[in-house]
Amino acid sequence: MIANPYNSLDWNAVIPLLVVSVTALAVLFADLVARGGVKRVVCIAIGLAGLAVAAVLCAKSYGQSYSSFGGGFIMGGFTVVFEELIVLSAIFSVALYSAVGEARHLAGSIALLLWSAAGAMLMAGAGNLMTIFLGLELLSLALYCLCGMSRRTTARESALKYLILSSTASGFMLYGMALFFGATGSVSLAALANPATAASPLFLVGTALFFIGIAFKLSLVPFHVWTPDVYEGAPLPVTAFMSVATKAGALAVLVRFAYATLPSIHVREILLPLYVVAAISMLVGNLAALAQTDMKRLLAYSGIAQIGYILVALAGTTALGLRYAVFYLAAYLFMNLGAFAVVALMSTENEEGSRIAAFHGLGWRRPWLAAAMAFFLLGLAGFPPTAGFIGKVLILASAVGAGYAWLAGFLILGTAISLYVYFKILRLMYERDQQRAAPVVENSSALAWVSVGVCAIVTVALTFYPLVPSNIIPLVK
Amino acid sequence: MGRARTTRTRLVCGNAVMHHLMGIDGHYPLLLAIWLLPLLGAVACWTFGPQLGRLAGPLGSACTGAAFVAALSSWGDAMQKTSAGLGAHQHLGSWFPGFDFGLLLDPLALIWALIITGVGFLIHVYSIGYMAGDRAFARFFAYMNFFVFAMLTLVLADDFVLLLIGWGLVGLASYFLIGFWFERPTAVAAARKAFVINVLGDVAILFAIFIMFARVGSVGFADVFANPHALGGWLFATCACLFIGAAAKSAQVPLHTWLPDAMEGPTPVSALIHAATMVTAGVYLIARCWPLWSASPDAQVLAGTVGALTAFLGAILGMAQWDIKRILAYSTMSQIGYMIMGVGVGAYEAGVAHFFTHAFFKAQLFLGSGLIIHALAGEQDVRKMGGLRTRMPFAFWAMLVGVLAIIGFPGLSGFFSKDAVIYGALEHGHPWMYAVGIATAGITAYYMFRMLFLTFWGHYRGDAVGGQEHQPGPVMTVPVALLIVPTALAGWLLFGPASWWKRFLNGQFSGETLPAPVVSELSTTFIVLAVVAVGVAIAYLRYAGDAAMKDSKERLEREGARMPSVLVQAFYVDTALNILFVKTSQAFGTVFGRWFDPQFIDGAVRETVISSRWLGHLFRSFQTGLVRAYALIMVLGAACFIAYYAFSAGVR
Repeated sequence: MIANPYNSLDWNAVIPLLVVSVTALAVLFADLVARGGVKRVVCIAIGLAGLAVAAVLCAKSYGQSYSSFGGGFIMGGFTVVFEELIVLSAIFSVALYSAVGEARHLAGSIALLLWSAAGAMLMAGAGNLMTIFLGLELLSLALYCLCGMSRRTTARESALKYLILSSTASGFMLYGMALFFGATGSVSLAALANPATAASPLFLVGTALFFIGIAFKLSLVPFHVWTPDVYEGAPLPVTAFMSVATKAGALAVLVRFAYATLPSIHVREILLPLYVVAAISMLVGNLAALAQTDMKRLLAYSGIAQIGYILVALAGTTALGLRYAVFYLAAYLFMNLGAFAVVALMSTENEEGSRIAAFHGLGWRRPWLAAAMAFFLLGLAGFPPTAGFIGKVLILASAVGAGYAWLAGFLILGTAISLYVYFKILRLMYERDQQRAAPVVENSSALAWVSVGVCAIVTVALTFYPLVPSNIIPLVK
Repeated sequence: MGRARTTRTRLVCGNAVMHHLMGIDGHYPLLLAIWLLPLLGAVACWTFGPQLGRLAGPLGSACTGAAFVAALSSWGDAMQKTSAGLGAHQHLGSWFPGFDFGLLLDPLALIWALIITGVGFLIHVYSIGYMAGDRAFARFFAYMNFFVFAMLTLVLADDFVLLLIGWGLVGLASYFLIGFWFERPTAVAAARKAFVINVLGDVAILFAIFIMFARVGSVGFADVFANPHALGGWLFATCACLFIGAAAKSAQVPLHTWLPDAMEGPTPVSALIHAATMVTAGVYLIARCWPLWSASPDAQVLAGTVGALTAFLGAILGMAQWDIKRILAYSTMSQIGYMIMGVGVGAYEAGVAHFFTHAFFKAQLFLGSGLIIHALAGEQDVRKMGGLRTRMPFAFWAMLVGVLAIIGFPGLSGFFSKDAVIYGALEHGHPWMYAVGIATAGITAYYMFRMLFLTFWGHYRGDAVGGQEHQPGPVMTVPVALLIVPTALAGWLLFGPASWWKRFLNGQFSGETLPAPVVSELSTTFIVLAVVAVGVAIAYLRYAGDAAMKDSKERLEREGARMPSVLVQAFYVDTALNILFVKTSQAFGTVFGRWFDPQFIDGAVRETVISSRWLGHLFRSFQTGLVRAYALIMVLGAACFIAYYAFSAGVR
């Protein structure tokens, strides 16, 4: 299958990946050279610069089509869009290190985060099963370490839980890939796209196992159980990164598989279980979020529901649905990372201010911060004038148009419950009660403030200029 | 006649006869200037009102005047014509697919833009004098400029969404201006009433947009009009929704009741908004949507019938009014009925022509009446006027020209356009609308001359001591004098078989060649003239003859007391609307507010909250924190997944 991968190495396809990976080494090197207070600044600056260069190089490939490693990595409009989203989430996460995170772990954390991003980017462009698994493991291995990068015991616990459960899911997925190979005799996604073999039991059971691995990374119910614990325990920037980048990578794999590999005659039945778990996720995610006392846990559950919304857009595997899914993913990125940046601004270097009680009376103590938080929460709830509103309208339109009205019904139900989740915090922030008001934490990291501002502006701007890229039909060849 | 009608219907339904020309894309800075200059004026007057002081008037007028100059300079752009395009199209921005926003200036939009800015400019200048004593001088001009901007948005829009935005903003500006003297409770009530009825129309248009977007996938004029039959069975529904919007804005029966009340606003407002421009937006809408109307004979009958009815009822009610501005309000309603009838039945050029001439003579009449009201310190009751011919000769001559124009005196502007509309109804196969149009012309002659005689003939019946009225200054008289020229002469542009007007609108509308009706245009003119002469004669006998002059004051009091209540109450339309909508809504409100809402909605919310909390805690209880429990949940889920695929594989 892959005769000599280096013969087909197209630099255009892999250059953003290389830039991100090499930047990680540069950060580690800077950590050795720099001394004292500038260390933090230098490490973050190098990380951000590398990511920015990668974003620009990546954007140049939009509208092109390159392939490397004998079709193992495919660069085109689809890969570009997902890689950009992953790079953006990495940028916002690295920016959070200016507000939180222990100094001694800083350079290592940023380097691991960049490698993790490289793994997710590899998943976004993966053209065969080997590359998918390689990207998945690169992403996960870096994250296992990142989750434990803290003095707190909860962080260690979260890292271990993630390691065990994620390995289980990877095992399922690897077994599924083996069955694919058995059914078709190939690991390339292009070769899997064969209607004759797609009906074989071997292929279908392989699909089941493959989807279990994907569903774990997307944290769909019931494969979501690890999410709240790991999100809560992991350091804040890591949680922020995981909440978007992991999902974007897994979503890219799922979309490429569903749109380009599965034969269109069977695609409805084959994807049905995913829609069912998406429906359950929208309900369970929002219901469980009601009872949370920690903001990171709450956002974990909210993310479980939000990924359900994105899967609703993919219902019926229409081209329009894919465009709307990407739009909503982008909107989710800004709203969610904006909320994480707000949490970062309420934290100190060693203590994360993610308890929901800390938001009590925030509207009177730090009005701008509370206003931004309120805005992101409204966006997550799907209120105008945020991109969350327009995104949900588009998803509903595409799902109903594709004949999945029942999924649209679940989306509306889930949204109705989520209002209660988000408005509870809104009410808390604007309650005037001196006794219960939390003590003020003054963190005025400029970068985190910039993140909050950019996220807020983009969330509004996407409402009026809905960027729904058209050139994103995934390719396997 | 019946046979002619069937032929016509078939012709209209054929696709071939309709051809809608789109604007030619390009960059037109002048077009943007027309649109944005009044906005600039509004913002300036609003923001720097206190600093500007008395300068707000000239500034506001200058902005409107500059917009007029820009509109005149865009003449060439608007008239450019190729095989595929007519006029200028300036792209503004895109939203979703199907939502492209831009400005369109073709002859139809140009004629409206010229009237809005040209007549608007004269009225702005007039207002400098009329509003001189008002405290909120700058606020007035901010509102007026804002109105001009909103109206330009409406007529320059190239799609239904931007049109609706303009449509709504116009309603808002009208609300501000009717309620300008907000210390008066009647003004506030009138403003609210106008706004509510107008919003009803906005909602109807919104529904039309929903239908169009659902069926055509676009809200742009070019896409919707390219093939009206793409709307399929929804074509009539679309037209009907648009027509409700048009009827609300243009005071068509039964949504007309806000217009007489709107006379609570300052008189220049009545002249600008409630006579010359805003109330003709409905005419514009139908003329703009002519491909839809031409494709739907039912919509033509609907609009034509309502228009004819409004023309007739408005004229009847005009006979029973004593307030000079209410007389003019009902005459406006009646004249717009003519226009709607014209564009409704398919006589687009005639309907638009009547808008064109009406804008001049009605603005003239309102500004003339404003001269009188201003001079008599706010007196509006014609029973307390009389004999003003000698004391206010300028106002007299101005009003006389206006009245002669509106009743269709040969050679003046109304003569040409009104006859064209009446004859157009016959030409398009609606003989009874033709008859109603002729009858209405007679009644119009009667009540307009009644107003003229009561105001200017006989002896002064008011309380003001002789010579006390203050004569208006040149800032007020010059605009009126300038309006006399088009009031008198604009009609000649419509004269003849190859008239200037036909050449101007060439390519704007297209349609079928109609069979010649039984009555010729010339005979129609003579019939109308005869009816008009009868109307004037009756008015003379009742209000200006020697017998009427003897004890005019007592006679008028008697007449007022004997006025049939059906006319005084304006056919009880207000009462009927009140019972039908207001009272029933209140009853519904009571039922829902007292019983349904607390029991069902609140109850459901309460239950949802309680059960959500319970479920939330339930799901939380799964979250034990133990890895073995998590692994168990995952493996159970995995088992379900594998079972589904294995099972579905077995079935196949």
